[in-house]
Amino acid sequence: MLPDPFSHPQFREYMSNSPAFKQMLGDDGQPDPHWASFFQSYFRIGEEEILSRNTDIQRLLRENGVTYNIHGDPSGLNRPWKIDIIPFLINRNEWTKIESGLKQRAELMNLLLEDIYGERNLIRKGIIPMDLVYNHAGFLRECSGLKLAGPKRLVLYSADIARSGTGQLWVVNDRTQAPSGSGYALENRTTMTRVIPELFDGLKVRHLAPYFNALRDGLIATAPAHAKNPRIVILTPGASNETYFEHSFLSSYLGFTLVQGNDLIVKDNFVWLKTLGGLERVDVILRRVDDVYCDPVELREDSQLGIPGLLQVVRNGNVGIANPLGSGILENPGLMPFMQQLCRYFFSEDLILPTIASWWCGQPSEMNYVIDNLATLVVKKIHRSATGSSAIDGASLSHEQLSELRSQIQMNPNLYVGQEKVEISYTPSLINGKIEPRKVLFRNFLAGTPEGYVAMAGGLCRTSSEAGNFLISNQLGGFSKDAWVLSPEPGRVIHTLKDVNSFSAGGFTNMLPSHAAENLFWVGRYTERLLGNARFLRTVMQFLAEGNKLKTYNNEQTERNLLIAFTHYSYTYPGFTGEKKEEIFHDPWKELRDILFNSKRAGGIRNNFLLFNRAIHEVRDHWSTDTWRVIRKVDEELNEDNNQQSHLQMLHTLDDLITSMVAFIGLNRESISREQGWIMLDLGRKIEQSLLLISMLKATMTASLSEQVEYNLLQAVLMSNENLVNYRYKYRLPVQNSLVLDLMLFDPNNPRSLTYQVDRLKAHLQNLPKTNNGHALTGYERLIIEADTLLKLVNKQEISNPDKESRTYKKLDEFLEKLYDLLSGIPGMISKTYFKHEMPSQPIVVLR
Amino acid sequence: MLYSIHHKTSYTYHEPVGMCYNIARLIPRNTYFQQCTNVQISISPEPAVVNEYEDFYGNRIIYFSVDKEHSKLVVDVTTSVEKIPVTAGMLANSSDATIQDVLTELNNSGEEPAAIRQFVFPTPMTQWNEEIADYAMLSFFPGRPVYEAAMDLMHRIHADFTFKPGITTIATPVSEVMQERKGVCQDFAHVAISCIRSAGLAVRYVSGYIETIPPRGKEKLVGADASHAWFSIFIPQMGWVDFDPTNNIIPGDQHITIGWGRDYADIAPFKGIILSSGTHDLAVSVDVARQK
Repeated sequence: MLPDPFSHPQFREYMSNSPAFKQMLGDDGQPDPHWASFFQSYFRIGEEEILSRNTDIQRLLRENGVTYNIHGDPSGLNRPWKIDIIPFLINRNEWTKIESGLKQRAELMNLLLEDIYGERNLIRKGIIPMDLVYNHAGFLRECSGLKLAGPKRLVLYSADIARSGTGQLWVVNDRTQAPSGSGYALENRTTMTRVIPELFDGLKVRHLAPYFNALRDGLIATAPAHAKNPRIVILTPGASNETYFEHSFLSSYLGFTLVQGNDLIVKDNFVWLKTLGGLERVDVILRRVDDVYCDPVELREDSQLGIPGLLQVVRNGNVGIANPLGSGILENPGLMPFMQQLCRYFFSEDLILPTIASWWCGQPSEMNYVIDNLATLVVKKIHRSATGSSAIDGASLSHEQLSELRSQIQMNPNLYVGQEKVEISYTPSLINGKIEPRKVLFRNFLAGTPEGYVAMAGGLCRTSSEAGNFLISNQLGGFSKDAWVLSPEPGRVIHTLKDVNSFSAGGFTNMLPSHAAENLFWVGRYTERLLGNARFLRTVMQFLAEGNKLKTYNNEQTERNLLIAFTHYSYTYPGFTGEKKEEIFHDPWKELRDILFNSKRAGGIRNNFLLFNRAIHEVRDHWSTDTWRVIRKVDEELNEDNNQQSHLQMLHTLDDLITSMVAFIGLNRESISREQGWIMLDLGRKIEQSLLLISMLKATMTASLSEQVEYNLLQAVLMSNENLVNYRYKYRLPVQNSLVLDLMLFDPNNPRSLTYQVDRLKAHLQNLPKTNNGHALTGYERLIIEADTLLKLVNKQEISNPDKESRTYKKLDEFLEKLYDLLSGIPGMISKTYFKHEMPSQPIVVLR
Repeated sequence: MLYSIHHKTSYTYHEPVGMCYNIARLIPRNTYFQQCTNVQISISPEPAVVNEYEDFYGNRIIYFSVDKEHSKLVVDVTTSVEKIPVTAGMLANSSDATIQDVLTELNNSGEEPAAIRQFVFPTPMTQWNEEIADYAMLSFFPGRPVYEAAMDLMHRIHADFTFKPGITTIATPVSEVMQERKGVCQDFAHVAISCIRSAGLAVRYVSGYIETIPPRGKEKLVGADASHAWFSIFIPQMGWVDFDPTNNIIPGDQHITIGWGRDYADIAPFKGIILSSGTHDLAVSVDVARQK
């Protein structure tokens, strides 16, 4: 027999806290066999190993870009997601109760929603107080009477469950708008099984996948009848949303296109997705945008997150929305005291899972009870504010605050609910390397399908950040936990061919949304901008740092010219060109350091990285795990805290940055399979490379300089373009003006030459979907052909020689200027044609 | 009495607009006192989609969208409304129900009280404060018949407030109107509604028109030549009774109802979204003429 895991020294401290330990005891007072089995595996792996795996988990999550964004967090948008390695165990009996209880509750919520926006019999009969519905901000009168397709009006339902000290299970919150967390739950599970598979030994842990299949079925069933192969999108508020990671994760996992409001447009009473190839009809929207923001025409007119006219499409039965607009009415703690009555009314049975004892103050005696017992209750508003939970723990209030709250309740009683404070039980958690008791809230997810509601056999747990803290919220910090449902899997259904076919649902033929195309284009541009600036800066720094250098006039001139050229090249004006330039020339390192690390320095490297990073996150489902690792590394290298680095360290930083960006480009070749996506990315790169190269040549090769300085600058140009070796190999001559131009402008085999970039651009532009049917050239085709011709026909002799009078390379300067004008016109035209820069929506002025 | 109403709304955009989506509430609904007999709508440029339906309150909605580039939008609505004359007898039968009576009736369960009770709650445009509640108390004191109280409130608003266009906008909070004592008919309706709701009673915001040129011998009313607004309070045995605080009268033959809601936002005559970052101008003309 294996040793009793509960006698392990790690556990002694935990056990001394007996109420916490009691949670792991079965009905017979003996330790629950599942917990015993779990901790056997746990201690078999060993403390040290557990801690190291724990580090691995956090690292893996970080690398996968699993984040939870915090609004207004000054330390940056993306906060890493944290998992506690010890899961929340739910045994078979408990699960049976939770599952049936939540299914019952989901059905009730569905019927309630149907009634509120339909016949309103419940209000008429007095089963639900009218004030609770009509006075709730989530009751959208615009949505009344809408007929929806699908077996369930409420497609997604989610509930937070707490386990009390006595083992009783309570429903604490209902989530019916756009419940979040299912993607995090899946990510938690995936990470756990990958990093610490041994923990699962000896336990039958149910899988999460059936829930997601049910969700897919439920969404397909929500499609309008005419949609044979429904196209489904996930509507996100955008990359700055707190759960954006999950939106993009679900998009990849379920195979539904991730879109923002302005990717969609309402036309002819249908919703359309704007793609690179034109408009594609959308049949179902899984929304992660709160309902009032979904249609500025009828709901909040200042919203930029929605789709103007959406409700009209719903009203005409041409799009399914999960959850339907208006479902926020159910996120209403005031409904809690009426759930039991409702259950008796509809099903003639009791609630399987009770809700926390709640008193809605819209009733006089209930209000008096809440007023009299304020200090021992939790008070909530019936409508959640935009900033999250409004729960107030009466016990935490001072005498004055209590009386203030009391008068608020008396002023608007029907907006308040008092709730009993449930003693949430403790569960073992790994905190700072020690097993400690923590309170836990378990969120489950259900999907409505033609066969009824399906609950996720698992879920997302969140633990309090401190041992005694009552309020649990991601916004406040704390850990997440995986939830393990321990029971044999019910008969698994093997997917027949029919099922496999239905998996193609959500597919678009030409599916790159314009918004994704635009961001990929910008990722391409920023990639090259970062790389180009880093290489040039490195060359400049190397020249400055070179020891054993004579303080000659020529060297000084070279330095000056390089620094000025860099300012022009990187657009970090005024830099070495401004009024205070003499001062800056005196200590150029200070300026260069600022360009490298100062995130607010426009044109600087850190600044460009942030723009790059933002674009990357807007299309985060396009990058592989390896790519994320590279991006994180760059982020660390360019951390502002590094700005005390020595000259040599800064050069190392640039080396690392260049290596990482080259790796990023290499990885994209492998991972971005989507044809159009790759074209957009590479198009951005080639445009940027062309423009940067022209800028560099203009800034270094057109002035009248001494022979030695000119030579130094040519050398710098070749180095910055990684072409010095290439030059020596090809020409076997000292570096000279005409040959550098030949190599950098005209050599079709040199992947860094302008001719090469222009060739690629031409090919890519031809491969873009045609938006006009005729054979007429589009604007950007004209520009690229003109640039190409200019490049081919130019008199090479003429541009390689300086002007007789001014001694400057006037012809070259004009030639480069002309090329720059042509090529820099292309992005604007692509943008106009493909990115569909829809104007922002604005409400019209009105006369009362 | 037959009225012909011509309501023309013109938007001039300073930059061309590719898409616009609009909701117009310009067709008078049928009530006990009026029947809309003819509707003509002309929209330029021609809209791609026109949807007509009734909203939650039974008001008539026209939704339309234009999806080709345009620089000007003109919406011309002509309607004919047959007014059923209000007889003096109808108002003479005023109810002596007090505030307490109304509250009792409203608290009954059932469909009807629910439909009425929804007009008791404050809305963002009708939030009351202490000043408003105190102002209301002078008219709505306990034991007073509601009809009398509402009449008194209308008189007081008419006496205490100055009709002055251009001072307030839709965004002006009712508390500010209360302090400044200046505004237009929509403001006065909102002041009255906030007052009455502070007393716990049900009151609706009514949007409509008044006759442009009155018949000989009748005074020209304030608020003609544009959309007008007033309030309607629920009184047991009488139902919904309209009061026009701008003109200090109980609406009769010269008032035509378009529809009602909890406040302006529920029954705004015209609103919409354009996809544009440019600015635009608006011109509205209203003509209400007696046909016979």
